[in-house]
Amino acid sequence: MKRWLMDILCCPVCKGDIVLTVTEENEEEIIEGTLRCDACQVNYPIHEGIPNLLPPESASE
Amino acid sequence: MPIIPPQVYSPAEDTVLLLNASLRIVSPSDRVLEIGTGSGAIAAALMDFGATVAATDINPLAASYAYRRGVPVIRCNLFEGIRGSFDLILFNPPYLPTAPDERIDDWLEYALDGGEDGRETIRRFLAAAPAFLSSNGKILLLISSLTGIPEVLELFADAGMITFAVAEESIEGEKLVVLLGMKDLCRAL
Repeated sequence: MKRWLMDILCCPVCKGDIVLTVTEENEEEIIEGTLRCDACQVNYPIHEGIPNLLPPESASE
Repeated sequence: MPIIPPQVYSPAEDTVLLLNASLRIVSPSDRVLEIGTGSGAIAAALMDFGATVAATDINPLAASYAYRRGVPVIRCNLFEGIRGSFDLILFNPPYLPTAPDERIDDWLEYALDGGEDGRETIRRFLAAAPAFLSSNGKILLLISSLTGIPEVLELFADAGMITFAVAEESIEGEKLVVLLGMKDLCRAL
């Protein structure tokens, strides 16, 4: 996930700010991490470079 | 690029029609959002053109395929999880009327199944989209005659937008149309 995407991402439920935590990145982008909505107390995963902002109840694959 | 997995929509006539229409109106300084990017073919072409592009898809296989071709992709449902404003919003939606007993239970369903009237996802898209348009921002939406063109024009009007048909093509008993929608700035909402 490119860092600039943070400018256009928000919590899918409350539309509030989300906080980025990076666990793996390279020069170009974030590979693994989380996007947390403190208001909703939900962590949205960034996995293999893709942020997943599906609300928890619909995120199953 | 590896071949497109069977559960990701492969570019077809509709993809090409929407791609060509978008290349005619996009400018390199545009911020572009593609909803439901699928294989990412259109998003990648607009990036090559110089536009700043972000794309979404609900299908994990599509998101992963588009990502591998270099498209900044977000896995989400339509605009949920997205904020900001865009100069161009593209959507090749699921537009086929689909009865409950015709549903196929897999990820490709999300690319095709427009609900019983073909407009279920389009309805949700158009209700949300105006809030994500810059003041002169444009929507390009591909639909088919099977979707009900007058009904979709009405949905645009309900969302406070004016529309133009900017491309069309007849294929096997249906007509594909690309509609350009803009906020009607003369109308007080």
